[in-house]
Amino acid sequence: MTVAVEVAEVVKEFGGLRAVDGVSLRVAAGERRVLIGPNGAGKTTLFHCITGTLPPTAGRIAFFGQDITRLPEHRRTALGMGRTFQISNVIAELTCLENVMLAAVGIDGRKWVLHRPMAVFADVRERARAGLELVGLVHRADETARRLSYGERRQLELALALTSQPRVVFLDEPCAGLSPSERLRISTLIGGLPRDLTVVMIEHDMDVALGLADRVTVLHQGRVILEGSPDEVQSNSEVREVYFGHG
Amino acid sequence: MSARGGRIALGAAVVLAAATLPFVAGPFWMGLVTQMIVFGLLALSVDLLLGHAGLFSICHGSFFAVAAYTTAILQVRHGAPTVLAAPAGLLAGTLLGLVFGLAVRTRGVYFILITIAFGYVVWGVAHRWSSFTGGDNGVTNVPFPAVAGVRVESHTEYYYLALVVAALCALGYRVLIRSPFGLALRGIRGSESRMRTLGFDSNRHLYAAFVLSAALASLAGVLYVYYNRFVNPVAASFPVSVEAALMAIVGGSGTIVGPFIGSAIILGLRNWVSSFFELYAAIMGIVFIAAVLWVPEGLVGLAARLRGRAARA
Repeated sequence: MTVAVEVAEVVKEFGGLRAVDGVSLRVAAGERRVLIGPNGAGKTTLFHCITGTLPPTAGRIAFFGQDITRLPEHRRTALGMGRTFQISNVIAELTCLENVMLAAVGIDGRKWVLHRPMAVFADVRERARAGLELVGLVHRADETARRLSYGERRQLELALALTSQPRVVFLDEPCAGLSPSERLRISTLIGGLPRDLTVVMIEHDMDVALGLADRVTVLHQGRVILEGSPDEVQSNSEVREVYFGHG
Repeated sequence: MSARGGRIALGAAVVLAAATLPFVAGPFWMGLVTQMIVFGLLALSVDLLLGHAGLFSICHGSFFAVAAYTTAILQVRHGAPTVLAAPAGLLAGTLLGLVFGLAVRTRGVYFILITIAFGYVVWGVAHRWSSFTGGDNGVTNVPFPAVAGVRVESHTEYYYLALVVAALCALGYRVLIRSPFGLALRGIRGSESRMRTLGFDSNRHLYAAFVLSAALASLAGVLYVYYNRFVNPVAASFPVSVEAALMAIVGGSGTIVGPFIGSAIILGLRNWVSSFFELYAAIMGIVFIAAVLWVPEGLVGLAARLRGRAARA
């Protein structure tokens, strides 16, 4: 079994607060892993540490066996990490197609080309359109991202993460705030991603989470309290207590 | 007429007007228009950072002045030919850009403050190191440029030279802002965190943009010194750097013609107001405030907005 992501004893402190308090986990290549836990459990902070948005206070992170703990964010992307943000983070003043074209050249030397227009790179354009097609946004390709609806921004966010050709994609609540039909569309899309792509996802919706996951990690107050199959997690009494409340 | 046809017709009219201008306007006006072109180029260089990368630099007077001084000193004191002095000026300003470019490690107000401080360092050197820079008098008697026996003989000829250089720069700039690199700059301005997760090393991109922008400002400096025939510390002063940004904003930041239109407005206004009112700097301040408050998209943007409104009506 190839380990795609290995997190060892990672700690992240903000002032006196330990948002992530010694988390260890291993995600196998090709696995669908879902992180759940109540608000403030440290899920997004852990994501930030893994993808390099924030440096961890302590601990070690490896990506396909390579230590990346101190590697800058853009270098991690080049190694094959893609991510979405909890709050949609798209480039509002560019069109959808331009957004995704940037994703397509991000880990490519052509991002430094300054003597030829972007338009001459037909393959970049094709890949960008394919990315939009995948998330069902191709009809909005030439629309400025600012004019997208909330749900469409979530779709564009996903297209950005997938178009940089990641080996592992980190999705931070991809379905948050979506209508039931949009939610179904996105979760079907995620379920249909190629199996050689490893998916690590934070999800609050238990139906979505348990339907997609191979394994589930439960975080609470910065610590892993349980890791197991969806069935194991669902039947565990401690999880029921911290996650669903008493009863 | 189609929009494309309209643009071609407009472009042809501008080219024709620019080519025939010297036959209608006297030497005074030709000098002013040359100045507008030179400072428009400086404003364009500032706007690569301001209008695309989202960085507000207030030290472009430094690159402009260092290029102008280098060319002037080589040409006047060392008798260097233009073919050597002009590229040396361009190189000196660009090298300074490589150093000042370190400012891109900061953002927002810190970037602005650092660039202001850089600007004052260069102004201070120009002002105080009199034995080298000529102090307040600067370097005078810069001749017209001459390359391979071809000599510019008049202000009118120099106007054509400046016009051709500016047009070539504008064409190159157009390619640059449409390139993947240019698109990435706008991406960084929109969301730097997003661009980093897409694999962009934002600091390196901004640094490269800064150096390119400094090179363009240096080119404007070389054009300036051959037009002006002298250079003194005023070229490196704070107002030059601020006015360059003001020109870009008034004309239309993020566009190519905007900085040139802004330059024409600011220099035209200054010329007119200063002929009857001593406190023209105060008027400039009011123009700046009014532009930022009511027309933040500049005249080019305003025109587009009005066209859009007319089309809907």
